Amino acid sequence: MASSISLPRAESTNPLLNALRIVPGILLLAGIGYAGKILEHSVNAYAKSHHWTFPNIEYVLWAILIGLIISNILAIPKIFQPGIATYEFWLKLGIVLLGTRFVLADVLKLGGISLRLVVIEITLSLALMTLLGRLFKLKPKLTSLLAIGSAVCGVSAIIAAKGAIDADDEDSSFAIAAILALGALSLFTFPAIAHGLHMTDVSYGLWAGLGVDNTAEATAAGALYSDAAGKVAVLAKTARNAMIGFVVLGYALYWSGRGQAEAITNKAAFLWKKFPKFVLGFLLMSLLVGFHAFSKGQVASLGNLSKWAFLLTFAGVGLRTNLRDTSKQGLRPFIVGALGEVLIACLTLGLVVGANRIWGL
Amino acid sequence: MSTDKSSTTPSSKGTSFSLDTWALIVAMLLALAVRFDILKNVPW
Repeated sequence: MASSISLPRAESTNPLLNALRIVPGILLLAGIGYAGKILEHSVNAYAKSHHWTFPNIEYVLWAILIGLIISNILAIPKIFQPGIATYEFWLKLGIVLLGTRFVLADVLKLGGISLRLVVIEITLSLALMTLLGRLFKLKPKLTSLLAIGSAVCGVSAIIAAKGAIDADDEDSSFAIAAILALGALSLFTFPAIAHGLHMTDVSYGLWAGLGVDNTAEATAAGALYSDAAGKVAVLAKTARNAMIGFVVLGYALYWSGRGQAEAITNKAAFLWKKFPKFVLGFLLMSLLVGFHAFSKGQVASLGNLSKWAFLLTFAGVGLRTNLRDTSKQGLRPFIVGALGEVLIACLTLGLVVGANRIWGL
Repeated sequence: MSTDKSSTTPSSKGTSFSLDTWALIVAMLLALAVRFDILKNVPW
């Protein structure tokens, strides 16, 4: 999980030893990701040579499935854990490099639309989750964590908010487990629904970016539909991530006002601390491409490097999803999360359909 | 996203970089390597 990310965490005073600790897990991520890529080509070639009508299963899904099988059927030896935990680093690296595949005008146009939708989505999601939490009589801080996780950006938002609102470890674990389990479900439900509705790549990408909570799952859910949808999903999700500081600050002020969290002395510093800096890297890359800092071939190379980084991320998404751990968590937070997620998915789908009519996506 | 717990990675000298900063640094190094043809024609 995000809380155990370490790159390179200083467990020992020897930096070389620390670097070596993450190597086995990174090799496992790369192996699973590459196996997914090989499977995509092999299965498609086999189906084609035998004249079968077989759906094109992309490497994204193969990598996630292999990871899920390994983490849920086999026990992953401890030696791999530090390296597996780097999947979030690869995700952020992939997002920064993906900036090269966007023309700045597209970022401004789609990003602008995304931001407007994000503000509506966050406002309605926070209100909805708070209402559900009260209806199901969840603890107030657990409700806050679930609301932040569902409205903004999943696990990372929950971890960022945990310290700010002084929530219990147990509440955080509940909220994280619910968000992760629901994120795993969305990987399969979002593309299926979108295919049924014949959504365009841009519309679906926006929906995945707005409706799927965790950045890794949103990226994967987008890429499962198409490469173009994956790009838009990352852009929409990045716009959503940019709002994390404002939402967490709002909750921190609310709880400190009630004397149940530390007071915020410097709001600007708080916002900067919580702001996801990789968003700036994404914009910088797009800007550099806009100023022709790279040739066409170099842009293609950077785009491919981004894909390799995502390959490791998708393997990590499967590996860190442990269904047994999830089932051990409480039922009520899960029901609240699930109900909320279904309603948020419907709400964001409605937003995207509305945006499509207004802006013709 | 930058987070309280996960993002801070102390180095041996006590300075710290967030996970986001690491991603930015590595991305910029890769971009420089590609820009100056140290990394060429990266396949997919």
